[in-house]
Amino acid sequence: MLEILGKHSTDDLFSDIPEEIRKKDFKISGGLSEYELLNYASETAELNRADGFSNFLGCGTYDRIVPSIVDHVLSKTEFLTSYTPYQAEISQGMLQALFEYQSVMSDLLEMDVTNSSMYDGFTALGEAVRMAHRINGKKKVLYPENIYRRKMSVMENYAHGLGIEFEPYGFEEKSGFIDLADISEKIDDGTSAIIVENPNSYGILDENVTQIEEMKRNALLIAYVDPVSLGVIKPPGSYGADIAVAEGQQLGLHQNFGGPFLGIFSFRKEYVRRSPGRLIGKTVDADGRDSYVMTLQVREQHIRRQKAMSNICSNQALMAVAALTYLATVGSEGIRNVAGQTIIKSKALRRELSSIPNVDASLFSGTSFSDVPVRIDVERERLNDLLLRKRIFGGIPADDLLLHAGGKMSSAYFFSVTEKTTNEDLRKLKEALEEVV
Amino acid sequence: MMYKQASYDEPLLREIKSGTSYRFPSVESETAEIPKKLLRRELNLPSVAEYDVARHFTRLAEMNYSVDNGIYPLGSCTMKYNPKFADEIAANPLFRDVHPMRPESTIQGNLRIMYELQEYLREISDMDAVSLQPLAGAHGEFTGMRIVRKYFEDRGENRTEVIIPDSAHGTNPASATMAGFDVVEVPSNEKGMVDLDALDAAMSDRTAALMITNPNTLGIFEENIVEIARKIHEAGGLLYYDGANLNAILGITSPGLMGFDIVHFNLHKTFATPHGGGGPGSGPVGVKKFLSGYLPSPVVRFDGRRYSLVDSGNESIGAMATHYGSFLVVLRAWAYIRYMGSNGLRHASERAVLNTNYLEHLISGIYRPSHPAPKKHEMVVSATSAGKRASDIAKFILDNGMHPPTIYFPLIVHEALMIEVTESASKSDLDRYADVLLKAAKEDEESIKQRPSNTHRRRLDEVRAARQLVLRW
Repeated sequence: MLEILGKHSTDDLFSDIPEEIRKKDFKISGGLSEYELLNYASETAELNRADGFSNFLGCGTYDRIVPSIVDHVLSKTEFLTSYTPYQAEISQGMLQALFEYQSVMSDLLEMDVTNSSMYDGFTALGEAVRMAHRINGKKKVLYPENIYRRKMSVMENYAHGLGIEFEPYGFEEKSGFIDLADISEKIDDGTSAIIVENPNSYGILDENVTQIEEMKRNALLIAYVDPVSLGVIKPPGSYGADIAVAEGQQLGLHQNFGGPFLGIFSFRKEYVRRSPGRLIGKTVDADGRDSYVMTLQVREQHIRRQKAMSNICSNQALMAVAALTYLATVGSEGIRNVAGQTIIKSKALRRELSSIPNVDASLFSGTSFSDVPVRIDVERERLNDLLLRKRIFGGIPADDLLLHAGGKMSSAYFFSVTEKTTNEDLRKLKEALEEVV
Repeated sequence: MMYKQASYDEPLLREIKSGTSYRFPSVESETAEIPKKLLRRELNLPSVAEYDVARHFTRLAEMNYSVDNGIYPLGSCTMKYNPKFADEIAANPLFRDVHPMRPESTIQGNLRIMYELQEYLREISDMDAVSLQPLAGAHGEFTGMRIVRKYFEDRGENRTEVIIPDSAHGTNPASATMAGFDVVEVPSNEKGMVDLDALDAAMSDRTAALMITNPNTLGIFEENIVEIARKIHEAGGLLYYDGANLNAILGITSPGLMGFDIVHFNLHKTFATPHGGGGPGSGPVGVKKFLSGYLPSPVVRFDGRRYSLVDSGNESIGAMATHYGSFLVVLRAWAYIRYMGSNGLRHASERAVLNTNYLEHLISGIYRPSHPAPKKHEMVVSATSAGKRASDIAKFILDNGMHPPTIYFPLIVHEALMIEVTESASKSDLDRYADVLLKAAKEDEESIKQRPSNTHRRRLDEVRAARQLVLRW
């Protein structure tokens, strides 16, 4: 090909790059054969080996059962190695799958519309705050004071450019529910949005969440929910959420060391033109047959540039297919079962651990979902050493995790359960904690 | 050799009613006590047997073109082949089934991967520090713009504008706007490069940064990049490199050598990780030393014995994502770079550029290149020069079993076809692609409007999709 182009060497193809900025030495490595690479990767993976551990780590990332078929579907090369479906005619497979994802997720959340995915739950929340401001132009956002530090930080990064002012609201000391009086006092005509979490950042299924709707005035209600809990818990659409966001990792994704995850983003249909992200719509082809296509692209950055609703381009399409496959495979009964078992197991954890002196696993009267804060009167280092020695993962310090962890939550550590948690795991944890206090 | 799409009238999942067959471990005798106020009454998910789930997605997959089906020359998307060793590595449960908050002593493998990729990206870009946290290219841009914003806030400088060439990716102005900047667009000159006079006119003491990709979206290397960097720095601004087009220059030059202060990488483009029908991506950000404390936290350090997660610095913009980034994408990119080595990466860029220039040679008699300058990783031609509309050309290509280029972008070229063939195309692939393009130009108007007709669906009614919104079942 060089000859046809009349070039002597490939260097000639780069003659337009000034000499002064040419890379003189480039030293990564010599490259490996596939066999050597696989061996090196396996050796590296071994450094993570942790056999025989009981896993009580959660707080947003959960070790749930992933049906075999989910990874099988994700490994289909036509899904895995395709690009964004710009050319709809030869992307009908992905487009239909994403339309189904939007549909099944809207059903699960009882919301009008779900977009075809955002990066993760935290960035979805950041986008929700931006969208609320686009809709009503107001600047004050009420947020739960116990929100995760990183969630707050991501949200602040997203909102900074809009000059949003964040104001915290508190929680009832006894139940662990939202303090409704506090919200009612803080809502005013300048309030753009109220963010509620369910379960909240204490891991409590928040029974006051349903009462925000009647006090929200002109503000938008943004609900951050746990999608698995929705197997048994009222969906955000039923208590007046205008925008609902969630982390979808639990729906068929492994823990993935924190990513890739799935940002679920749903909203009322009247706001569709102010919404970020890709939307797949149903239409017909020239012969009138049902077809699927990316739609309302005029909201997006490749067309609208600085006036776009968001800068998002790549999303988490493959993760959306994972969530779709998961929900389609386990069905309503399956997700109810998983949510129910989670509640049963967190209750058992609270019961078991509370029998230990100097340990309080029932800090709140409200019902726990996956994450249980446990107050343990022991120095953090001692607890960590002991848990590691006893082969237990868990005990995320509330001080690290939560933006505000005073009062009851000081010296609390989170232990989380899923449907995988066994009685044996609980016994092991109980015995370990008995030893430390 | 031609892709032939399967065609099924596949029902929506909701219409398949074979009944759920999946079984979880049996429930304990206890029933869950659900707070009455929160009890959900109704839930109607699809009820499908696993065999039907498998068949459904198999049929959908067969109606979806992918890199493994053939050439996929979407401009600025770098749809190169995704090597299968990366799939195997990413499926290893020792990497994958790891909670991000496990104690550091039990995640040394994952931290090593992250540390080594940080180092590789530093070496490739000649930057001083890298964060792997951003979750896609646009997210990397936004991270970069947040850094620019905080840097000037900390210095007490009120710089409110970001300058962006009119040939830039749409994400650039959108990202700058999200960070609260005003966008100042500068036109390209007749060579398809930044117009230096216009740049001078756009610069002021309000200039926070210039965002630019090099080679640009026309596939042209900005010959004045050193001069541009000098100007921006003299005006007190920062230089941001959009790494979407990095596949043109691996081992040949680098953003650091060109004078950039901040760069994002698209691991799902340059480093061959699969794009998953739209994502996941990964958009690490690299910076020069004076900005290293601004990166999102945490980053991975190595003290010669142990890897650890540490805060990037007091000035850090904080968190941009839930955890440390798109780890499984990071892992695949690590594998690709490790496999390729320095020479392999350089050869990939050389081959990508050679392929582009060869294809241009084959078609330039009919399709006039947007600008005469030598091309790097991609080229832009106007369909108008072949007497056609870009969308018609695209649909003709579909009918010939290949994937069309990016169309109608960049916006500065009328009826643009933006073609990036990457290194993953043989001479015969390119000959065939050129052949189809040339045939398209010869097709009569009436016939080409009827394209595609070999596909599962014919042309879609996009206007109807937008007017009569149906976004769910």
